Amino acid sequence: MGMGDKDKFELENKSEDPMNYSPDMSSDWRFGGSNLTNTSVGLISVGNSMSVSKGDLVGSSCSSASMVDSFGPTIWEHPTNSQSLSFCDISVPNNSNTLSTLGMRKGTPASWRSGIDRALDMCWNPQNSMSKRAARFSCFNGGNFNDMVNPFAVPESMGLYSRGAGMMPGAQDILAGNGMKSASGVQSQKNELNAGEALKDASLTVEHGATDGSLLRNERKSESLVKSHDEAKQGVGNGGSGNESDEAEFSGGGQEEPSMLEGPGGAPSTKGLGSKKRKRNGQDTDLDQPKGASQHPGESAKDNTEQKGDQNHSTGTNKATGKHSKQGSQASDQPKEEYIHVRARRGQATNSHSLAERVRREKISERMKFLQDLVPGCSKVTGKAVMLDEIINYVQSLQRQVEFLSMKLATVNPRLDFNIEGLLAKDVNPSVTCWSFIYASIFPDMPMAYPSLHPSQQGLIQAGIPGMGSSSDVLRRTLSSQLTPLTVGFKEPTQLPNVWEDELNNVVQMSYGTSAPPPPNSHDADVSLPAGHMKVEL
Amino acid sequence: MGIMDKKKAIKLSADLAIASARKGTTYWSRAIIAKATAENNDCSRIIVENILGPERAERLEKASKLSAVRYNNRLLRSRKILKKCHNVRRALRKNVPRRVVAANSIAKRMVEKRTQVLKGLVPGGEFMDEVSLIEETLDYLVSLRAQVDVMRCLACATDLVNGKYEGKKKLAIVKRRVCGLLLLFG
Repeated sequence: MGMGDKDKFELENKSEDPMNYSPDMSSDWRFGGSNLTNTSVGLISVGNSMSVSKGDLVGSSCSSASMVDSFGPTIWEHPTNSQSLSFCDISVPNNSNTLSTLGMRKGTPASWRSGIDRALDMCWNPQNSMSKRAARFSCFNGGNFNDMVNPFAVPESMGLYSRGAGMMPGAQDILAGNGMKSASGVQSQKNELNAGEALKDASLTVEHGATDGSLLRNERKSESLVKSHDEAKQGVGNGGSGNESDEAEFSGGGQEEPSMLEGPGGAPSTKGLGSKKRKRNGQDTDLDQPKGASQHPGESAKDNTEQKGDQNHSTGTNKATGKHSKQGSQASDQPKEEYIHVRARRGQATNSHSLAERVRREKISERMKFLQDLVPGCSKVTGKAVMLDEIINYVQSLQRQVEFLSMKLATVNPRLDFNIEGLLAKDVNPSVTCWSFIYASIFPDMPMAYPSLHPSQQGLIQAGIPGMGSSSDVLRRTLSSQLTPLTVGFKEPTQLPNVWEDELNNVVQMSYGTSAPPPPNSHDADVSLPAGHMKVEL
Repeated sequence: MGIMDKKKAIKLSADLAIASARKGTTYWSRAIIAKATAENNDCSRIIVENILGPERAERLEKASKLSAVRYNNRLLRSRKILKKCHNVRRALRKNVPRRVVAANSIAKRMVEKRTQVLKGLVPGGEFMDEVSLIEETLDYLVSLRAQVDVMRCLACATDLVNGKYEGKKKLAIVKRRVCGLLLLFG
């Protein structure tokens, strides 16, 4: 309820002034706080006055912790209700238009869906089961995080995100994503193809609504006609072999169209037009091929200029394109060429501009699909504008959470100083990548905890400790003597490694009642790893 | 140090951490690093150096400065306007009813507005085209989620340390958090 109010507030804000998306932190938090918990006083105090005493802030942070806890799992359940409702209202008049512009513009009405469905289900490898893929993707290769150069590796990992349901929202997704990234770095192209399969699997399973289906089918159909380097990464092999049977089915299934025209509320005129195109398309692919061949010189120049960015990514996968793309278009036997072959569909402009535009549009819609998997509550949403709205909401809320958490961390830690001399001290090992500068300030009684730390403990240490006075000098000395700095290949977003190590050790000892502390190495390495990059270090 | 300064420092270090995780492969990471290195106060310099490591800091600084090129916005905008006019006129010529044309342009305008907003949200987003913008958003989203998760766990940890919870409540919370963390990091 409270969440719903907060979101409605955001919605009203947006509707009044659609351009006013600036995160007004204090007002938002004030509103949110008063609705969510009964700690509105605390939150308002944090938001408004900065010169509050420590006690007040600690109190407020306690209450706000519960609010933070309630954020993760619940924040997106309510918004999906309220927002989807309101957005449905707003977008109903536009729904048909957006669909007609985005979906039907490609000339592929929703009635193609069932034909392609059958073909694709047939052609996908049944033995490539989910578990196998997951196992393959979850193998961590230790040093390979430098290979995350290919931005397409990111979208490929999205396919596994949908499978991470049921676990912590970030956990499995990020885990799988990391596995994907490392694996793809090692086993480049074959992996990418399988990832493409996984992607298509996931995207198919995730989609429910008819409109989603229509967009997906658009993509399938377009894959048969658009030969690009992207296809190598999207499992063009599967899509290609599927399309052969597709086209056979089309001419056979051409008669059934009238019964299948039950798509999402698109304009009937566009549907009729599309169906005509479809019927003729099934028989005219042969016609298209010679036309396609003659288009290459015309397209090449235009496509070359347009697709330079892709070439840089895709030259490495050229050979994969040649090897793995089977069938249909005889443009596939020219893998060396570095531009995109696009075939114009019947009834559409063969202008190179419009072809390039169509390719661009399809790329965008593919990416939007990945985003759909990432952003919670977006599986039923269709249309670019609404999807973009959801994405914007999500990014904004995450950023606000970061702000809030950083504020909370700032208040919880009593002192934070930057002592320049201390930080640039001689005992800084240049190979150390360290990230803490406040942990010494928190615990004046730290020296007692230090003997418990392993000298060999691989901590994330601050080589130069902020000088805080006599106590921190003592700390610094003990630290530099006891903790060995190590080269760590990753960074941490926050600054409390020592706290975490100590407290975790002690507390876990408490809770599990074991005398031997749990391996502090793994804990340190684990805890301090942001999920985006994992280097297993022991 | 005031609270706001502390908060800014924490946030800056967190952002730099997730940006350095990408090691200059994505626009947004370069933008974050460029912004951080452009500031001249001591705090940011210290944070940058300590998080990125001294020798890598300079390397990344150079890379980020080079990539944050602001090309001519006016040229882009005029091209976009021309394209819009062309498309509208082409649609009208094909005897598409005017209300459909108008609806299309309205939809496009909606999408454009939202794209503008998204460009403002994602760091370094103003210089990207739509396709790469979406890719960057994807990446940024994942990193943000990770950031939030880790910060939340750390906040809980500091609460534990400060003795906010007592007794069995402490144990329960710790168990929950530890399990969550272990799940998060495998």
